[in-house]
Amino acid sequence: MPRGVGARLLACLSLVAWTGSAQAQDLESRAAAARDADDIPGALSLYRQAVQEKPGWLEGWWFLGLLAYQSGQFADGRQAFTEFTKLDAKAPAGWVFLGLCEYETGDYSGALDHLERGFASGSRMEPEVEQVARFHRALLLTRAGAFDRARDELKPFVERGIHDPVLIAGIGLNALEMLALPQDVPAGQRDLVEMAGKTACAWIAGDTRQTEAGFRSLLGAYPSAPGVHYLYATYLLVSRPEAMNGELQRELEVNPGNARARAVMALRLRLAGDADDAVLLARKAAEDSPGLGLAQYAYGVVLTETGALSDAIVHLQAAVRIDPDNLGYHTALATAYSEAGRYADTYRERQASIKLARESRGPG
Amino acid sequence: MGQASLAAVTWLALAGVGYSAERPAVKFTCATCHRAEAEAQPKTAMGIGMELPPNQTVLRAHPKLTFERNGYTYTIESSGDQSTYTVSDSGGKFSLPIRYAFGVHSQTFVLEYEGRFYESMVSYYASLNGLDVTVGNGKISPHNLVEAMGRLTSDTEITACFGCHSTGAVSDGKLTLASIQPGLTCEHCHAGAKAHLESLAAGKAGPLPKRLGQMNAEQTSRFCGECHRTWDEIVKLRQFGEANVRFQPYRLANSRCFVGDDPRIRCTACHDPHADPVREAAPYDHNCLACHSQNALPVAGQDVPLPKVCPVAQKKCVTCHMPKVKLPGGPSVFDDHQIRIVRSGDPYPN
Repeated sequence: MPRGVGARLLACLSLVAWTGSAQAQDLESRAAAARDADDIPGALSLYRQAVQEKPGWLEGWWFLGLLAYQSGQFADGRQAFTEFTKLDAKAPAGWVFLGLCEYETGDYSGALDHLERGFASGSRMEPEVEQVARFHRALLLTRAGAFDRARDELKPFVERGIHDPVLIAGIGLNALEMLALPQDVPAGQRDLVEMAGKTACAWIAGDTRQTEAGFRSLLGAYPSAPGVHYLYATYLLVSRPEAMNGELQRELEVNPGNARARAVMALRLRLAGDADDAVLLARKAAEDSPGLGLAQYAYGVVLTETGALSDAIVHLQAAVRIDPDNLGYHTALATAYSEAGRYADTYRERQASIKLARESRGPG
Repeated sequence: MGQASLAAVTWLALAGVGYSAERPAVKFTCATCHRAEAEAQPKTAMGIGMELPPNQTVLRAHPKLTFERNGYTYTIESSGDQSTYTVSDSGGKFSLPIRYAFGVHSQTFVLEYEGRFYESMVSYYASLNGLDVTVGNGKISPHNLVEAMGRLTSDTEITACFGCHSTGAVSDGKLTLASIQPGLTCEHCHAGAKAHLESLAAGKAGPLPKRLGQMNAEQTSRFCGECHRTWDEIVKLRQFGEANVRFQPYRLANSRCFVGDDPRIRCTACHDPHADPVREAAPYDHNCLACHSQNALPVAGQDVPLPKVCPVAQKKCVTCHMPKVKLPGGPSVFDDHQIRIVRSGDPYPN
């Protein structure tokens, strides 16, 4: 992180005024001087002493956390930002740095929760901090299975032309829908993840030639790897939809547990008018993966089509609960309410959909 | 199907007319049983859909049309069976034949150049009796004659255009222009009509095409919305503001009075799909009063508030509650299908 960001962030915070003793004021001055002189160990030591003497000193916890994070002492940083957020729960940067420290210490669940909390306030952050936080949140979202949200977060990095190996690995994991972080990929899968990442990057960048060459290589090298055929099927949706079902079928042959592929196949069958098979596939996807929004959505949509509206609404409500930011889930629920004659619910859901569409990015 | 035509089919089937080796074959067409619809629909705007040479009546009635914009001059000249679209500037000119004239009263032209399709930069508007910029193209600033000629369309977009203005032009999501028939034929909306005819010719009654009249308001809205745009599609494309006034299923579904399982608010309650829309206001009054009157039946849906009776008038309801909205960037005016109480100064909703 560039020097000076911490101080600029600090200026954004509503800090408690320093009203300590002369000894404490001396500690503060010495800590700041050590920090300015790039004496990180000295500054850390002085800030530690200062916050022990004055536990309510927000600025002390802030710099203690920030210096610990910058020097790779993530456990200490985590502790400092925990104290900081107890004193000021409204500062997004405190939550974000707490999340980043937790990420580095392996507390991934806490990291995602706290990064989310940092962004939830809607307050602006320093651009450098925001980018780092967004990137780590995207990696954690992939690990948590929220692939669509993670993809939306990762895309802008690719569109800006960034070619970092960790980014490529993160995109690769997301593309293959692997519940892992880049550092956790086993050696035997690194080439697969990298190839998938590079192909997906070319796709995001709109480079059709590179994308298609990438898919040829990927399918040739890893025809039985889970997720490869599903990834290719999603690519074909726009360019050659008639070939999509074959790839979904191949994915289910090599990876029968892929509920996403099964759900998408069900939606394809519905479009083709094969309602019976669509219901069977969607039901299995929804039963196998009750926490997968896409599976609940697909089952809800095909049930709506068959007129089983009460059941459809249950599954579409589940999809919306799982991913409340997914516009398609909301619009499908509005449609099911409408067909069921649930007037007030329809109107509310339609208005919620329009609001969500206005507030969110791009067609979706 | 009326009682008489149903009886005719039953009799034909029982008598074995048309498939007995001893009897002359009867050629079944949609008009055999659905005469009124089959005769009326091809003359409607949906039935015509587009004009191909040599039947481009709008262009033939206007043998020379001109328009200027952004330093380019547009000329459409028709002679004999052929119409030509020309754009010129001080440096030269560029001409293409007009094969596909989309629309009936107003027309936009789809032009083919180097294997790609372009939406013409200018369209013919009946209300102007002349040319103006095609809706949606107003912000384009062309850099050369090809860009000035029209907007390059994507494969998906152009497939959708042909899919809604013609029959047989799209198969499995791909353009099949060799088999194009202008306008929407029976089979376009009544999928299975062809198989139904073939089975009748073979002496069997089925299979029957889907009974579209049995669809509820929500299903009808989605069905018509396949061309007129569904509520879902507009929301997902985020096409908010006055430009969406032409997408009637979207607007209607946003109405307070839209109840998905009530047939009184479905598209076909007001519009006969086999006839052109009625342009006067009064004929629609009975549709409004079907709910908004003291004697109206309760609304079918759950938790629906009782429809209010208008304290101002009981006639020409649509003149107040479905205001006319001019489409931004063009001369066209549409009736806003988001039925509502319109208050002065209120912004355009949704």
